[in-house]
Amino acid sequence: MLRYVIKRVLTVIPVLLGVSLLVFGFIRMIPGDVATVMLGERATPENVARVREQLGLNKPVYEQYLIFIGNALRGDLGRSVLRQEPVTQELLRRFPATIELALSAILIALLVGIPAGIVSAIRRGSVFDAASMLLALTGVSMPVFWLGLMLIFLFSVVLHLLPTGGRLGASMEFTATTNFLLLDSLLQGNFHVFFQALRHLILPAVALGSIPMAIIARMTRSAMLEVLSADYIRTAHAKGLKERAVVINHALRNAWLPVITVVGLQVGRLLSGAILTETVFSWPGIGRWLVDAIYARDFPIVQGATLFIAIIFVGVNLLVDLLYAFVDPRIKFE
Amino acid sequence: MSTVWKKAFALLALVAIVATLAACAAPTPAAPVVQTKVVEQTKVVEKVVEKPVEKVVTATPAPKPGADAFIFGAQGEPVCLDPAIITDGISSRVTRQIFEGLVKFDKDTFNVVPQLAEKWDVSADGKTWTFTLRKGAKFHDGTEFNADAVLKNFDYWRNTKNPLHAAQEKAGQTFEYFKNQFWGFDDASIFAKIEAVDASTVRFTLKEPQGPFLNNLAMFMFVFWSPTALEKAGTNSCKQPVGTGAYKFVEWKANEQVTLEAFADYWDKPNVAKMKRVIIRNIPNNSARLLALATGEVHAMEGLEPRDVDAVKNDKRLKLLLRPANTTGYVAFNYKVKEFQDLKVRQAFAMAINKKPIIDKLYGGTGQVAWQFQPPAMWGYNKDLKDVTFDTAAAKKLLADAGFPNGISKVTFDGKEVPLDFWYMPVSRPYYPNPKDIGTAIAADWAKAGINVSLQTVDWSTYLDKRKKGELPLYMLGWTGDNGDPDNFVCYFFCLDAKDSPKPEEGFFADKEISDVLKKAAATVKQEDRAKLYQQAEKMIYDKTIRVFMGNNQPPLAFLAGVDGYIVNPTGSEYFNTVVVK
Repeated sequence: MLRYVIKRVLTVIPVLLGVSLLVFGFIRMIPGDVATVMLGERATPENVARVREQLGLNKPVYEQYLIFIGNALRGDLGRSVLRQEPVTQELLRRFPATIELALSAILIALLVGIPAGIVSAIRRGSVFDAASMLLALTGVSMPVFWLGLMLIFLFSVVLHLLPTGGRLGASMEFTATTNFLLLDSLLQGNFHVFFQALRHLILPAVALGSIPMAIIARMTRSAMLEVLSADYIRTAHAKGLKERAVVINHALRNAWLPVITVVGLQVGRLLSGAILTETVFSWPGIGRWLVDAIYARDFPIVQGATLFIAIIFVGVNLLVDLLYAFVDPRIKFE
Repeated sequence: MSTVWKKAFALLALVAIVATLAACAAPTPAAPVVQTKVVEQTKVVEKVVEKPVEKVVTATPAPKPGADAFIFGAQGEPVCLDPAIITDGISSRVTRQIFEGLVKFDKDTFNVVPQLAEKWDVSADGKTWTFTLRKGAKFHDGTEFNADAVLKNFDYWRNTKNPLHAAQEKAGQTFEYFKNQFWGFDDASIFAKIEAVDASTVRFTLKEPQGPFLNNLAMFMFVFWSPTALEKAGTNSCKQPVGTGAYKFVEWKANEQVTLEAFADYWDKPNVAKMKRVIIRNIPNNSARLLALATGEVHAMEGLEPRDVDAVKNDKRLKLLLRPANTTGYVAFNYKVKEFQDLKVRQAFAMAINKKPIIDKLYGGTGQVAWQFQPPAMWGYNKDLKDVTFDTAAAKKLLADAGFPNGISKVTFDGKEVPLDFWYMPVSRPYYPNPKDIGTAIAADWAKAGINVSLQTVDWSTYLDKRKKGELPLYMLGWTGDNGDPDNFVCYFFCLDAKDSPKPEEGFFADKEISDVLKKAAATVKQEDRAKLYQQAEKMIYDKTIRVFMGNNQPPLAFLAGVDGYIVNPTGSEYFNTVVVK
């Protein structure tokens, strides 16, 4: 297994190199550059040429790439062209916000999606099954953007229950250390901030979790249905086992595999979904930061953030592959 | 070792490898982050177990949102808070509260009035300007505002050998506006000499008279830093602004908000900030921002969608203010299109558009029809001009006279015959709040007169890039004035360079007569004389139908009904010190 792990980790390197090359190339291939965006309506050829020169965009592209890769290996992703901030530092500062949101979303998706899928499978054809699958279908089809605005409208404007966006109220004074607000507030024993941070987290997490929740529910249901019709389930029943034991110990354990695959894939979806969710809910994470940077053609941020997301994505997929071995003893990594 | 334990061990090893990998690709602090997380999680448990009850009791109650603060919902994130460097409205909204210049725009007009200068004199030849400075004005760091501070700031902006100026340029920062408004740096700039006559008198000697000089000085970027603070901040000036304004800088949380606090020692006692704090929140989505206003999470907002204007008007809890128009949206012809070189064709394009319903319906009720470049509030506006009458039949006839009895759908662009593309912008701008719908409506009007265009767009950066290179045959764009001076509107587009070469970024426009009038106006100091020249230029542009001007927009701002004292200024540079939230 260890050999497998090492092999997998080594294959990650060309993947990341490929990603960096693609991102680096694509962002330079699209027309328009940071100087043009900075100047807006004022972008005359002379202005643009001067600003380009000042921003150091005149070096040959291959040279820029080699500099980028060399620095990236040392953990330096360069500086934002527009704001002159070190990308690595900014990335790490914003990342906790995105992780907090993504983890909450996947948690909600799992806590709701899996039980809903199991119950739907057991009571196949019941009203609950029909209702939850309809809801799941709605969940998959709904644009996150629209859902977000509807949630704000209902829970903030009409019911006055939850805030419309941001991570904390505008007037809250709180010094975060790790920037995981829930963690920080607990560490500092500031339960008021914890509670506020939680209130701000609910709507974006639900919006972001809606699609994974729906997919997980459907996947769990179909995986369970397949397993439930298997011979060993009939045998388990025949042995006189309780329904609960049959479902949890025999059926669910065998249904895990496809569910885990889906959850792993959803992580990628969460990161891309975060871009929209973070915009609607004014959430200061890397998704929104990346989009702003793409529009502004701020190359270093786009390269750095994409590479970072790629690392996470590859890492999660690797974890999922290895989890298979735990869940299904038949799988061996040789 | 059982298989389960083997697997557990392998998994742990994997986690360690992934963490190391992250540490290699990401910066050095990555690895410690992973470790501390674990430690901190343990701590959480400890703390909660130790004394949870006590903590709940002693936890500071949060101040009621907005109890003492004015919270403004902005459309995006400031780029930088050093006014000398920035060019965007979102950053300048913040720096306006912190910094002040010699002069400023008065209330809701383009009129220039004293700010840190008490008064000024200009010599008869328009080249020597002497400013008497206000005594007793203090910077937020406690240092005195005086002639020396003025000189040091001008040196920072103008002198490329000034260590900080050089360091900023090296770090990729540019002094864009100083170069634009004052012709360049060092000896290229318009200044022959800048000197302190005494501690409270500054004299500028210009190489040539500059018409818009005072208006330029009133712009948001020519405001003064505390020299001590600037030196301390160095190339970190974007994050540590220190001026003389009614509010001083407290904190900038990236992608969240900027917090300012009333400055107790503000020199202008009657105008000391009314609210204790100002918070400018970044809420990028227009609808979400309006929802935040509806719930009272922000007190005011910009970037209202045209479709939401009526809803705000009809909501008793909210109110609407319109900023006087300082914007003009136009349709520009590319003169490399052979057909557009014919005046009759251009006139036909202008005449075939029914502007009124477009402006009324697609500007959310905040627009007004335009037929010249400057908005009506500007003193260079030509009151004698009247808009061409909308007349589809007459447009058809003009096209027939020009040799297109069957209308136009293909054109010769740069020597090649191509379908006529009409480009609309992909983003909403103040002058075109709804570019796609407006573009579609224009195209529909044209179709009735036999002009068949195909609508095109592309992302904003590419759009600007194509426009800059003169690749758009027919396109929508517009302008928002910088300094309330007609020069900044008309000359910026229609003044040619020394060789009178066609400007690609203006559709290869190259009319020397218009350019000469505008250049003359720019070098004249007396406002009455200048006004006549700009009016003459507007008439020439109108007669030649150089462009089709569509509308001026009065950008709407929405407030909670309890917000008073917000004074809208056409330049968009508004001060928050008069604002009260009830």
